[in-house]
Parts: sequence; C-alpha cells; structure tokens
Amino acid sequence: MLMPRIGVFICHCGHNIASVVDVEKVVEFARGLPNVAFASHNLYSCSEEGLGAIRKSIEDNKLDRVVVAACTPRTHEPLFRRNCERAGVNKYLFEFVNIREHCSWIHAKEPEAATRKAMNLVAMGVAKAGLLEPQSEGESNVIPAALVIGGGIAGLAAASSLVSQGIETHLVEKQAALGGMLNEIPVVGPEMIESKDLIENYKRALECSPKAHVHLSSRVSSLSGFIGNFEATIQGGRCDEKVKVGAIIVATGGREFVPNGEYGYGSLPGVMTQLELERRLARGEIPKKVVMIQCVGSRQPGRELCSRVCCNASIKNAIRILDADPNAEASILHRDIMSYGTAAERAYKDASEKGAKFYRYGLEKIPSVKRKNGGLSVEFYDETLDELVALDADTVVLSTPILPVEDVKEIAKMLKVPVDKYGFFLEAHVKLRPVEFATEGIFICGSARWPSSVSECIAQGLAAAAKASIPIREGKVVIEPITAYSDPEKCIACGNCVLACPYEAIEIVLMDGKRKARVNEAKCKGCGNCVAACHNDAMEQKGFDTRQLAAMIDALIKNALEVSQ
Amino acid sequence: MSDFNPTILAFCCNWCSYAGADLAGVSRLQMPPNVHVIRVMCSASVKPEYVFKALSQGIDGVLVLGCHIGDCHYLTGNHRTAKRFPLAQKILRNIGIDERRLRLDWVSAAEGEKFQQVITEFVAEIKKLGPNPLREVRL
Amino acid sequence: MAEIAFTELKADHLLTTCRGHGNVGPVFASKGEDVGEVTLDVPYQLVTILSMIYPWVPQGKIAIVARRCDEKALNELVKRGIFDAARIAIIGLACDAEQIAKCSCSDPVPSKVHIGTPNKGVDSDELTVKLQSMSSEERLNYWIGQFRKCNKCFACTTNCPVCFCEDCVLEERTFVAEKGIPPGLAFHLVRSFHMADKCIECGECERSCPGDIPLLTLRKMVLKDMKELYGFSPGDQKSVSPLLTTLEGEPLEGDDHVC
Repeated sequence: MLMPRIGVFICHCGHNIASVVDVEKVVEFARGLPNVAFASHNLYSCSEEGLGAIRKSIEDNKLDRVVVAACTPRTHEPLFRRNCERAGVNKYLFEFVNIREHCSWIHAKEPEAATRKAMNLVAMGVAKAGLLEPQSEGESNVIPAALVIGGGIAGLAAASSLVSQGIETHLVEKQAALGGMLNEIPVVGPEMIESKDLIENYKRALECSPKAHVHLSSRVSSLSGFIGNFEATIQGGRCDEKVKVGAIIVATGGREFVPNGEYGYGSLPGVMTQLELERRLARGEIPKKVVMIQCVGSRQPGRELCSRVCCNASIKNAIRILDADPNAEASILHRDIMSYGTAAERAYKDASEKGAKFYRYGLEKIPSVKRKNGGLSVEFYDETLDELVALDADTVVLSTPILPVEDVKEIAKMLKVPVDKYGFFLEAHVKLRPVEFATEGIFICGSARWPSSVSECIAQGLAAAAKASIPIREGKVVIEPITAYSDPEKCIACGNCVLACPYEAIEIVLMDGKRKARVNEAKCKGCGNCVAACHNDAMEQKGFDTRQLAAMIDALIKNALEVSQ
Repeated sequence: MSDFNPTILAFCCNWCSYAGADLAGVSRLQMPPNVHVIRVMCSASVKPEYVFKALSQGIDGVLVLGCHIGDCHYLTGNHRTAKRFPLAQKILRNIGIDERRLRLDWVSAAEGEKFQQVITEFVAEIKKLGPNPLREVRL
Repeated sequence: MAEIAFTELKADHLLTTCRGHGNVGPVFASKGEDVGEVTLDVPYQLVTILSMIYPWVPQGKIAIVARRCDEKALNELVKRGIFDAARIAIIGLACDAEQIAKCSCSDPVPSKVHIGTPNKGVDSDELTVKLQSMSSEERLNYWIGQFRKCNKCFACTTNCPVCFCEDCVLEERTFVAEKGIPPGLAFHLVRSFHMADKCIECGECERSCPGDIPLLTLRKMVLKDMKELYGFSPGDQKSVSPLLTTLEGEPLEGDDHVC
C-alpha cells in the first residue's frame, strides 16, 4: 500500500498568527511528522498567491493530501478544498487546523506555549489527514421557491426582490397588514420619506406578481428539512397550509422596548416612548416643550447594545416639531449622538440650527423627571457645563432600543439557528458570510439581526434575497459527504444506531439472509450519533472516522505528553 | 506541582461550541494554552471510548462541549450526549480515576465568553488535581 | 427435565447442562433424543451457548434452563432482535442460597420457577462496599493491581451472554493502545461502558477469568450508578437503554445535564 504524501502549509495570516506563533519552527516540526512529504509557510494562504503556491507544491512534490494550519474551517474550508481539487487532489483529502482563533488570538501573551500548542494541533491534523479517504459529493435538487418570515420593510424588500427574479415566494406576516414597525413611523429620516409610500411600493410589486403569495395574520408553526428541501406549515386563515421551499429568509424584525416605569413612564402624564410620540405627531398634536432622553434601557450594564437608530429618530422628530412650530422648544439629552453618514450629520446640524438643544448627560447621574406646575420638569447633570440643569417640558420622550420580538426563541428553535444574549439572530460571519446563517439555505435580514435603519433593512433584505436566489437558480446543491455508513461485516444488528438516530434514518434489513443496519443516505444528516452508539465500530461517519479521531488523540499524546516535563 | 502544565483534549461541535470557540478567538479572549480542540459535527458523535482512551494513556483532562439542550442542530443529538457522559464519569470514579478529569458542558455559538470561562476553570481544576496518575503507570 | 421441556412447554429442543466425561457441559437435545445425566449444580452460561447455536437451528422452539440472570439476558437479546421470543421457552431455575451468596445476587428468582426452591436475594456485595469507601487513589491502586493480571484471554467477553459483537473493538488498537499484555485501563473502562446497559450480573466473566479479577464487582458498581442516574436496570422485556433515548419528560431548558 502506498504511503500517503502529506503537504503541510502553515499560514502567517499576516501578523495574526505570525506575531505569536513561530511559524518557521512549526514548519520545521511538521517536516518531521509521519508521512509528511513537504512543509512550508505562506503569508496569506487564502490569497491568490497563497493558493497558487499550494497548488504548485502539490504538483512539484506529488502530494496527495493537504493540511493547512490557519484560521477557522468554518470560513475557509470550502476555498481550500476547491483549491485542492484544482490541483488534482480529491477535495476531501484536505484537513484544516485552526491555529488562529484557537491559538494565536487567544494566547497572545504566551508565544512559546502557543507555538508548542500549534505544533500539537498540526500533529493531530497530520495524523487525521494520513487516514482520510477520497469522497464524492452527492447532489440534491432545490425546490424553486422561497419563504420569507416577516412582512416588515426588510421582508418586503426581500420578497419583492425574489419575486422580481421569477421565484415563487411565500411571505408570512403575523399581523393583519404588511409593513411591520414601519407602520408606526409615518415619516422616516433623515430624508423625510413618507413610509406609507415605501410600503406601498413593495406591496404593489408583490400584488402584481403571480409568484407572490402573501399570508397575513399567519405564522410559520413548524419547519423541517434542509437547503433545497424545506417543508413549512403556515398557520393562519381557515386551515394550515404546507409549503415546500428551497430557501428561507428570516425577517422577523424587532419591537420597541417599553420602559419599566423609568423616568416616570406609566405614572406621569406626558412621558412617552418615541413610537408614542410618532402617533401624537401623526394626529397633529405638536408638543410645545419636548425633552427627549436618549439611551433609555440601552448602553447600560445588562443591556450594553446601542440601538443605532434612536438618535436619528429623535433628531428627525425634533426637526418635524420645530418645522411645525418654530416657537416650540426641543431638547435632546444624550450620552453620544450616533448620527453616522452625511445625511444624518446634516440633519443633526439642521436640527441644531432650527433651535434644538443637545445636552450631554452621564450614566452615573441619569436625569430625573418630576411634576411641575401642571407640567413636567427634567433635571439632569450636564457633563459639558459641569452643572445641574432643569428643563420645563410638557412632553418627555424616552428613546428606547429595538429588541427582538417576543417569540424569537421559538423561531430560533424551529429553525435551529443561534441567537445572541439579547435574542438577535447570529449570522454565520459578520464579514465573510453576512446575512446568512451557518446553516445553509437560511438567511437573516433587518432588525431581527441587529437594530437597523430603514435603508439598512432594505439593503439587507435585498442582500438576503440575492443570496437565497443562488441555490434556487442553480437548481441543485452539493451534499457534503459526511453521512454515516455501516460495515455489514462487523454489524450484528443490535439496533443501537436505529434508536440513537434523531432522524430515523437507519433501519435493520436483511442482507444475504442476515440482519444488518442500513443508513438511508437521503435522510442522514451526518450527526454521528449512531457512530457513538455503535459498540464495535461497524458504523462510521465519512470524514470523521473513528480511526482518524483516535489517531489525533495518539498524536496529541505523542507530541504533548512524551515531549513535555 | 506549580509547573505542571496539563495536556487537555476538547471535543467541540461544529454548530455551537466550535463556533463559540471561534468567537472567543475573534474577540481575543485570552485563556490558558493547554486545551486542544477536535472538531466534530455533533457532541453526540463523541464516543466515550475516546475519553477512556485519552485518560488511560495519560491525557490530564477531557472536555466535551455541545449545544445547549433544546438547541442541537441535529434535534435531539445532544440528549444522548447528556446521558453518556455522566455514566462515563461514574465509571471513571469506580475505577478510581478522578471523574473531574471529564467535563461535559454546553456552549452556544454566541457564548465566546462562556467558552473562555469553561476553559479557564477546567485548566485551573486540572492543575489542582495534578498530573493524571496513569501517565506514569504502565500496567 | 424432559417432561418440562417437551410436554409442559411444548418445545422441540432442549438446552441444558449434563455431566459427562467427568465434566459438566452443555447438551442440546431434540425431542425424542436422550438428554443424559442432567446436572444443574454448577453455574453455566447457557444463553451464550444458545447464541452460538441459534443460527444453526432454523426451526422449532428451544427450551433453555435459565436462572433469573439468564432470563434477563434472554430479554436483552430478544429486545435487540437476536432471538425470536416465540421460539424460546424458559425453564426457570431458582438458585440455592450458596450460589446466591457467591454472586451476591439481589434478584435470584425467575418469573416462573420450574426447578428449585426460591430463595431471597442479598442486598449488598461486600467488596463493592469496601471499594466505595476507599479513597480514589486507593481504589485506583486496587484496580491497577487486579488488572495487571489480565492477559487478554477474552474469556470474559466470549462467555458473556450479552456481549454479542463478533469482532470485539477491544481486539483492535483503536482504543486499546497496548499491543502486549496486560492491556491498559481503556480495555476495562470501555468494557464497563458497553456492559452498563446490558449486564445482568450472571458472574460468568468473573468465574471464567483465569486471573481471578473481581469483574462481577465492577459490573455491580456500574449497574448501581445506572440505577441511580437513570432508574434503569437491564433485563426487562420492554425498556430501552437510557443511553439511546431522548430527554423526553425531563426538563429541556437549562444546564441541568452538565457534569
């Protein structure tokens, strides 16, 4: 049997790895590992130059397996696999070792130990690579339809984009009308656009298209499947509707955080949230003396987020009030004004020129709101003036953060996608894989992802639609060969695997008159539960073979235990 | 004992704990360099046999990190994980190997800080327990 | 014996132990054949023998002499589809007090007793109690001392009725790193884990071990833990191993299941 010829490539990742890990030492070490025919390093392995250097080394040294020690496989594994394929090496004879997120970045002050650990990790990767087997990919058809959960502005943008591409789209909205939170905000700044025009624009696009199926007052009650083949049950109306789609976009939006009695909310008349102010302004009730307090319930211990849109909302509303009544008084108490971008900065200046006053307060001494002479008085410590200030007001507006909708945990569980500590959905990678989840085929946009302005919601909705359309247009997706399979020579059909499988993908059948376990590849999702349940290693998972993992453990023992002391 | 540097193995699942570990890295959360991660698709694919092998050959500690119960990417995968490892711990205890050398915990993709905390705590605990007595034992 | 098997239980074959050639050994006799001098005073793992011959007996019902532990072993194997329950008939054998003491058996009476007088079980095993009161260092030293005697004869696995894999994973190098003897602790740790949800405490492993390693005691310790952790004891006709089931009925939220 031919011995494998492994090529090991250690990445500098610029400074990211090389500033802590002695890359050349690791290369030297790798050269001495069993079955390593070649080892070298690259400044940026993922660059065209780096990838080309790897391909050349494969060719020059007749390598048949590749190990790259760099960042995380969760981002670049597909890239390096494709690179191997280009050089004539089966994509699955590639192993990724993480020496950045799991090493140089977390042991920045211990370069010697980090280098030692990188060597151990490389030894483990090489041990696995030596036992990898070539695999071929399966293909699965993609149902040419999409599901958009949430009919707010992000969902509307996404759905209309999909529909304009000719893709059958189901838009599910839990309220009786489309528009989401935007329905409560008649004018959107800084450009002062009428939101009902925006909503109408997208609604019309959907109404005009036979490809759009809008489900109002409805919810997705259950979901199963995987990219290309999802099945969802839409509940609402007289009966449940089951739809089959190839991709899903989550646009469930957010809700305004309602204060818990802070600043007299609920007890003092005239104290309200921004959305409540919007309603008053829409009715023509313009306050004479308004004080807006920013960062209520945000940017504080326990809820550190900045909701990003409230400063601009306050500025917009201050301008509306001052335009309607130039004699009105508008004050904004803030802890920083987040008016990013030219238009928003111009609006900030505008508001100031129209007479709005901006006061800075600190978290240590927050403002207090009291009754005064039939109205209200807001007392606060101004950080710039370094003194206590009291303002009279008839209206006090609290700018509170956008938080995820109440049922976000249910949705996350149904889709099996992660959320952060606030309940916002966690995308796969903020720069390399925005607007998509790590789970293939499911995308995320709008304030469900993070508090976003209307234009940001629209951009994200369009981005998600663009990404979702890719598998739908291709018509098929590649299935990674990580399914389980049973060796009939070893299997004694004890049934452990059948019971352990969460997908009921295994059954006991007769093979040559003997009972044996058989995995249904179409149902198998590659979790490996059956492998752990099997006592005699009859069941194995492609790419995570027991012998490969045992070899990794042996490599760690050999390099860490027998060398140290 | 003060210069005992434990060698620790950790199994992390692709969807939750491995991603949480990546997040800890991206956030530059510093932690002791004793833990070596093996990536698996699901914590339920981690065979207790790996733990027994590692500990009997001298590894000082083994961590198995999966998704929180109810959040497993593979539905109920981690339910079996939750059942296998407490039993594995008992077996270690029955033989006389300190069961604290095996730890099962749940770390989500968003919990970079929890990952840092688990690693830091576990390394400190193993340091206190001392080197695995089986390092020196050749039966 | 023949009466019970062929008339009462309407079996076509009988598996029991007999004295012959100066030894006690298993005998498989069909209806009409001479069974021989039946001897039941030496414990013998007939369920293991049944597993070996079952594929070669394509038809007919087999009556097997079974103690309570053997009956439980049969249940575990029937649950896994290794035997067809309709083809097995149990001749219940109640153990005598001497045997019960030797095994420290807590559950010695089969569901239906055909032979022997039922006796009470014993509550605890002396060696188990002694080991559990030791410090972990003492306990480890005890087991290392015992396992030094292991010469990988595989008598324990071969004779065990519920150890059913034909190719045992302990024969390979995947988990047991040592080529020579004695094998490392991984051998015994892995075996304990595999047996945890199937062992019915028949004691054949300990009786077969040429090194006199107290294997039954180790099995009992693990079974006690299984009972405490999951309320599960192997041997009934319906229960599925808790290691393979979900946490249904148990709280899904929270981190209660870390250890």
